[in-house]
Amino acid sequence: MLNKIYDWVDERLDITPIWRDIADHEVPEHVNPAHHFSAFVYCFGGLTFFVTVIQILSGMFLTMYYVPDVENAWKSVYYLQNEVAFGEIVRGMHHWGASLVIVMMFLHTLRVFFTGSYKKPRELNWIVGVLIFCVMLGLGFTGYLLPWDMKALFATKVGLEIAGSVPFLGDLIKILLAGDAEIIGAQTLTRFFAIHVFFLPAALFALLAAHFIMIRKQGISGPL
Amino acid sequence: MQRGKGMKFVGDSRIKANNRMVNQPKDYSEYPGKTEAFWPDFLLKEWMVGAVFLIGYLLLTVAHPSPLEGPADPTNASYIPLPDWYFLFLYQLLKYTYASGPYNIIGAIVVPGLAIGALILMPFLDKGPERRPSKRPIPTALMILAVAAMFYLTWESVVNHDWEAAKAQGAITDKHLGLLPDVEIDETAPGYEIYQAQASCVGCHGGDLAGAGGPMLLGNELTAEEVAEVIQNGRGGMPAGAFQGTDEELQQLAEFIAGLKEAE
Amino acid sequence: MSKNRVTRRQFLNYTLTGVGGFMAAGVLMPMLRFAIDPALQVKAEGDFVQTSKKIADINEDPVKVDFTFEQVDAWYKSDVTEAAWVYRDGDRIVALSPVCKHLGCTVNWEGDPAHKNQFFCACHAGRYEKSGKNIPGTPPLGPLDEYEVSEKDGFLLLGKKIANTLV
Repeated sequence: MLNKIYDWVDERLDITPIWRDIADHEVPEHVNPAHHFSAFVYCFGGLTFFVTVIQILSGMFLTMYYVPDVENAWKSVYYLQNEVAFGEIVRGMHHWGASLVIVMMFLHTLRVFFTGSYKKPRELNWIVGVLIFCVMLGLGFTGYLLPWDMKALFATKVGLEIAGSVPFLGDLIKILLAGDAEIIGAQTLTRFFAIHVFFLPAALFALLAAHFIMIRKQGISGPL
Repeated sequence: MQRGKGMKFVGDSRIKANNRMVNQPKDYSEYPGKTEAFWPDFLLKEWMVGAVFLIGYLLLTVAHPSPLEGPADPTNASYIPLPDWYFLFLYQLLKYTYASGPYNIIGAIVVPGLAIGALILMPFLDKGPERRPSKRPIPTALMILAVAAMFYLTWESVVNHDWEAAKAQGAITDKHLGLLPDVEIDETAPGYEIYQAQASCVGCHGGDLAGAGGPMLLGNELTAEEVAEVIQNGRGGMPAGAFQGTDEELQQLAEFIAGLKEAE
Repeated sequence: MSKNRVTRRQFLNYTLTGVGGFMAAGVLMPMLRFAIDPALQVKAEGDFVQTSKKIADINEDPVKVDFTFEQVDAWYKSDVTEAAWVYRDGDRIVALSPVCKHLGCTVNWEGDPAHKNQFFCACHAGRYEKSGKNIPGTPPLGPLDEYEVSEKDGFLLLGKKIANTLV
């Protein structure tokens, strides 16, 4: 039955080559931890993606309870963590996942650096990778404010002061991020929420797609 | 798109009717060496690594519930801020003389900007064909130096932070949860006015008596004599002799505070 | 080649780009103006805020004076309590903002036992003299801001924040 459905779709859309290209491409021996244990360093990129997927999923579910409003943000986080079944786990996954993404991405970057994998012809993919790193740090920074607790507020205050110390454009950047020249409040929270949940993930998806398409096109770098 | 005599398409679409890929995997004998097909052979190994990783991740999640401090209070003057841990090295950098004050721009913009810029331009700075780290000593040395610096700065930042004080400052109190004890405050009492006039009282215990930097006075379990004792001699973090006024005022204040008992 | 300097294909390409640009501008312009609005809003002048500090009680030692005013943060109105370090300097009353000019932490008078007669910021060990002047060699970029000061019925009034005038 499933085969028939597949054949019916395949006849009309010729989908086989799309997945066959991904499924059947050969993975060389030197990145396979089953052949060389040291090849586990090649897993960091995949693990980064794995945690990213968990972040996206847990983040989607967190917004079922979370409210980006100064009056209610903290209360909603407190509620979802303490009153909702598995709330502590879901928020914990998002919280610790944020750290793990950074750790895994850092290790992945070091692996690519020390194996010289950014060299011709993979320059563009390295640049896209660094941009992903920046987007991830941005997600970390904006996400840190959202629980609207003491450390969130004051960490953001410090972060915005650093942004404000950019020559010439500092004040403008600060206002555009915080929504107000002096107050870190209602408008800051909604802006950070929008950036954290819509703008940066959109950029992340585009960059990740480019990253993966380039890997598939160029193949993984050869053994040292 | 290919078009030509004799080519057949599915209906009026662009999908070719013949020579489509066969819906069958290739035989593994066609692959040379010890390479493996991505699906399912290699992916299984990756997922095994992923599964082990996930177990660790979930254990971490269960063992350490994600922290949540008290609700944001922009007016709390004593709170010592700290960024998330992966920005700590940058935060620490801003403490050094040549990265702060008039040189703040060096610590806040120039150093991180150069680091990110160099990282992005890496492929164009290190153009040689050599890939082994030992064969390109300068990039390798610089990267090791950068990583070591980040570790050192993060470590310095962690050991210099007063974690105990920060924990106390951020703690969630009954006040945050709307669980204030059911106490009727007599705002006409002479003790109330004395309390409000003492900056040192209000500063720590709050204008609403529900605590600010110091503990909440509502629902305390002390007698008037004990309260007067504490006001004069201090207790815990509370300094002695902060009260300014006559003995009579002290007595009125102590009675007022001792009267803040929870209704039965 | 025809004598026309613009081929049909070029013409169509230009038109396509033009129409595309129009569509992009039409879609994005309202959104961008919407997003940058906070940067273009003009702030109303701040009024003086009453404090509970009697002018007569102010002496040469800086004390922290809390004052409360209604802060309008877009749709969110709240009573905000801010603080100022107030002391008497000859004939005039000085009210300094406790916001550190390094990264916006809060400074305390004699907050560091090792440095008497100075404001101290616990974040990065920034220090200021009594006048609010930042001490060279510590992180702050400039002197502490000052509040405009006024008096009514013997009580201290604080106005908007201005740059330090003592230094």
